[in-house]
Amino acid sequence: MSTQIVMDHNGDTRHNFDAKDTEALLKAERRFKALTGAGFTAATRGADGEPAVTRTFDPTAEVTLFFPRLVGG
Amino acid sequence: MKLLRIADDQSGRLLAACSRWARAFHDWYQRPGTRELRGRKLLREWLSSEQLAQYDAHNYFEVTGCHTGTRYRIHHGMGTNVYELDDAGRPRAGWCFVPKDYLVAGDVMLAQKVALETDERGALAVANNFTPR
Repeated sequence: MSTQIVMDHNGDTRHNFDAKDTEALLKAERRFKALTGAGFTAATRGADGEPAVTRTFDPTAEVTLFFPRLVGG
Repeated sequence: MKLLRIADDQSGRLLAACSRWARAFHDWYQRPGTRELRGRKLLREWLSSEQLAQYDAHNYFEVTGCHTGTRYRIHHGMGTNVYELDDAGRPRAGWCFVPKDYLVAGDVMLAQKVALETDERGALAVANNFTPR
């Protein structure tokens, strides 16, 4: 089971999907494109646990984190 | 005299009860909400074991900027909470950058961590700096 975690005003919203299910994978890819298109940054974690920003949908990523565009505070 | 002692005793008990009630109300009011707890849980899932130990002990954790190797200290908070450290580990500059949407503290800190560890220059380019106190 793979998960897309989207930070939002509720803390986060998690979308779980089966990466072997073609339809679920397409839906996850559409969500990825919609979020990154809206300015969200997508990050995954490598085997060493270090975060890495990803600009294209990775169907093998177990967890992808999305956070809104950063601005000066 | 006896009446005075009884009145004094009763007012003491009333004061103690009020104090307990006030403390209970304070604890209830200050409790982290569900959203806040969810944000903290997510942050903890993404911190390294070293960062997690630091956060539990000090309410902050440190990250290394991916471009310059500079150390930054991210304090628990939702803004003006990122400090650039000098070689001695003392704050030498403050940086303020946050997600544009309203997020709870755990989410803000996680976004700051990921940004500094993966796109340090990009994060600082949008940040405002301030002098550490």
